Amino acid sequence: MKRRDYIIFAVLLGLAIAYPWINPPRYLLASVLLMFCYATVVSQWNLVFGLAGIFSLGQVAIFASGSYITAILGRYLEWSLWYTFPVAGVGGVFFSLLIGLACLRLRGIYVALLTLAVSQMMFILIQTDAMCSALNKKVNPATCVSFTGGAQGLGDFGSFGWRDVFGGRNWIIGDYYTMLVLLVIALIFTFIVTNSRIGLAFMALRDNEELARSRGISQFKYQLLVFAMSAFLTAVAGSFYAAHFGSVGTDLMGFALLLFLISMLVVGGIGRPWGPLLGAFLLMAADEVFKEASDWRNVGLGIVVLIFMVFLPEGLAGALDKLWNRGIQLVTGRLQSGGTRADGE
Amino acid sequence: MADALLRVEDLHAGYEGQNVLKNISFEVPDGSLVTLLGPNGHGKTTMLRCISGLIKPTQGRIEFDGKRIDGMEAERIVARGVVMIPQGDMLFPEMSVYDNLRMGAYLKKANAAFERNVEEIYTLLPRLKERTSQLARTLSGGERRMLAIGRGLLAGGRILMLDEPSLGLAPIVIDQIYDIIRDLKSQGRTLLLVEENASRIIDLAEQIHLIDTGNIVWSGGGEELQSNPQVLETYLGG
Amino acid sequence: MDFFVQIIVSGLTFGSMYALAAVGLALVWGAFNMLNMSHGIIMTLGAYFALLWAELLGWPLILAAPFSLVCGGLVGAIVYFLSAHWMIKQKNFEVTIIIATFGLGMAIESGLLKFLREMFRTAPYSQPLSLGAKSFLIFDVPVSYQRLVIWTAAFVLITIVGIFLRRTSVGRAIRATAQDRNAARLMGVPVRRVYVLVLAIASGLAAVSGIMLSSFKDVHPLMGGDPMLKAFIVIVLAGLGNITGALYAALLVGLVEASVKVLLADKYGFTAILILVILALIWKPSGIFGRATVARQ
Repeated sequence: MKRRDYIIFAVLLGLAIAYPWINPPRYLLASVLLMFCYATVVSQWNLVFGLAGIFSLGQVAIFASGSYITAILGRYLEWSLWYTFPVAGVGGVFFSLLIGLACLRLRGIYVALLTLAVSQMMFILIQTDAMCSALNKKVNPATCVSFTGGAQGLGDFGSFGWRDVFGGRNWIIGDYYTMLVLLVIALIFTFIVTNSRIGLAFMALRDNEELARSRGISQFKYQLLVFAMSAFLTAVAGSFYAAHFGSVGTDLMGFALLLFLISMLVVGGIGRPWGPLLGAFLLMAADEVFKEASDWRNVGLGIVVLIFMVFLPEGLAGALDKLWNRGIQLVTGRLQSGGTRADGE
Repeated sequence: MADALLRVEDLHAGYEGQNVLKNISFEVPDGSLVTLLGPNGHGKTTMLRCISGLIKPTQGRIEFDGKRIDGMEAERIVARGVVMIPQGDMLFPEMSVYDNLRMGAYLKKANAAFERNVEEIYTLLPRLKERTSQLARTLSGGERRMLAIGRGLLAGGRILMLDEPSLGLAPIVIDQIYDIIRDLKSQGRTLLLVEENASRIIDLAEQIHLIDTGNIVWSGGGEELQSNPQVLETYLGG
Repeated sequence: MDFFVQIIVSGLTFGSMYALAAVGLALVWGAFNMLNMSHGIIMTLGAYFALLWAELLGWPLILAAPFSLVCGGLVGAIVYFLSAHWMIKQKNFEVTIIIATFGLGMAIESGLLKFLREMFRTAPYSQPLSLGAKSFLIFDVPVSYQRLVIWTAAFVLITIVGIFLRRTSVGRAIRATAQDRNAARLMGVPVRRVYVLVLAIASGLAAVSGIMLSSFKDVHPLMGGDPMLKAFIVIVLAGLGNITGALYAALLVGLVEASVKVLLADKYGFTAILILVILALIWKPSGIFGRATVARQ
């Protein structure tokens, strides 16, 4: 983190806080708050993938687990959703520990396949869950709904509750700032982890694995730690998502959402501090601009992911970083040579 | 030396932006044995990997039979007739000795002559004949080296480059390997040999180039080198 | 006894289909460390190619499967030239190619959905190559002729691939590339052509596997995702790149899935094989058939 980054952060935060006051259309406000949610997930994914080098495709499953925990607690135990959020976070951590203990000792590529399989397993188990649940008879005796809601999904579990505070129309502003707080916490958390002992340990492992190991830095231990820690906010983002929409469904574990989030990560730049934010912004913006062509959405996303992996595997943040550095080199180079030479060579 | 089969000119090469080789120029005349001599880690292997196309030079040119080959893909350079027997043998471990030899003769022309040539290889390297159906990974170090040489010979190249053929072998086996190299020389083959140990090649090579930290620091014949203990001492520690 | 026969019959069928899909995946990984995430959509396309041939064009049914095999192979080659060809020298190729082919696969799948919605219908079609429920009895358990055809076809195709790899010069070149890419280049093997070829073979097999799957479950645009993941699980279980291992692992996974489906319930099949694989990997981290030291540099 350089001074440049603090300035960017402050400016962006100011813009985000000010945005609702210019009275944007509601659907735009809803898009931006959704972007905050996705950016939170992708920032945590970036920690897992970019910093710790764990090629996990199970982040979507952890996200979904947060959603479902909130939905289930809110619906059956009638908890205020605010109590469910920390529970969802801890639940996500346990879930990720389970996945991590099973997978993380294996080779990187195995981790990708197994974590993907875990989210598929969750998808199948919930999708095929059709047993009428006695608990649901209490909520609505006339219908047969399974415990997890099965293929239809689950609703009727409450919301953030801003409607009571801000009134009928402005609740969305409450949701907006709630998501913004989550994102800010996620970014600060990411910053702290990256610059902590853990971040240094991974740096050491990347530079010289043999040496790092001989000094007692265990890759497995640190990877598991990062995986579990990042799961907390990922799951909380999931429960915020559920609270905002008021319903959860199996599309949370589907390939479409995975594709959308992966394209944010890839377009932004894997392992780049600003990557997730940039990626989330660009893809939500593209989604908004190309709304007319929404039939082609996944085709477009797929092609974007492909093109970025082929030509720009470091993402836009990586490319911008390079440009920035070259610019600085050019400027300082000129200063050093007294500004007399015409070209950089 | 107009009839040089292989000509390297002003070659620079390396890994990840750092040049391991600097400004290397030498020639290998048709039918001669040329040696690149020097301690480990000074770029000799990089040199051969460059010629065979496994890495690309950053500067300079390589000509074979009057045509440029630098920058070509390795598989096309072999087809021209430049065959390398790499360091560490690089056998196909899960294939039989016979299949490894068949792979040596993968190129069309070599494949057509395989049945005949393999018999020649078996006479030169009788140990391989005893082990034809054995997997390459089960061979001893010396047998592996022989298989690597046999495989390289079957490619039917016009120049054979051997990268440290004595590396990691017991002294008796090294003697056997050098007997083979002597045989090859007497058959009139063109050989480019990379070696660490001067005594092995001093009476064998027509031309020796001493490589130190990526530069050619001395060139001459074997006898010249022998009569020049100062060079030996400075660069090879006696 | 009935249960037992039922499990064997159904397990062998699953196993055959997974084997066709997984052997190709293993072959591709072995040759150049690529995991192709568009394998699933190629299976789907395979089923549609057969449909196209038999229903739309009305050409002889018997040639529908070979047609699909060839088309699948072509798609595989296209996938190579759209992704791996440009990426092979990337530092993290193993990872980036997964993401790239995932994107490509999703693009094809969504494009297919869109195309079918506009031109035909997305609702399932029944597979014309399906022989229906006609069956014979083994120990009082009815076994459909369809299964017999699937077993035979899978056996024949895999045997052909095996002979091709062992006995032909191109097959040897493929194995050589898998064992030491640079050594193969030094022998004059044009490795990039090997990559295309291997991906084409794998995709052709996947297409046939897709026909088989659709003969039980109808042809549907999203049908390939689940079996693709199972094929991935199979090759992970076997140890990546181990082709013979993939064959046995496919049969094992098929049998386990069939047992769970017969004894417990359909929906627990995937969970069961995933747990099986995770336990197996804890026991042997490089796969149950993986050698600890596969010499590949």
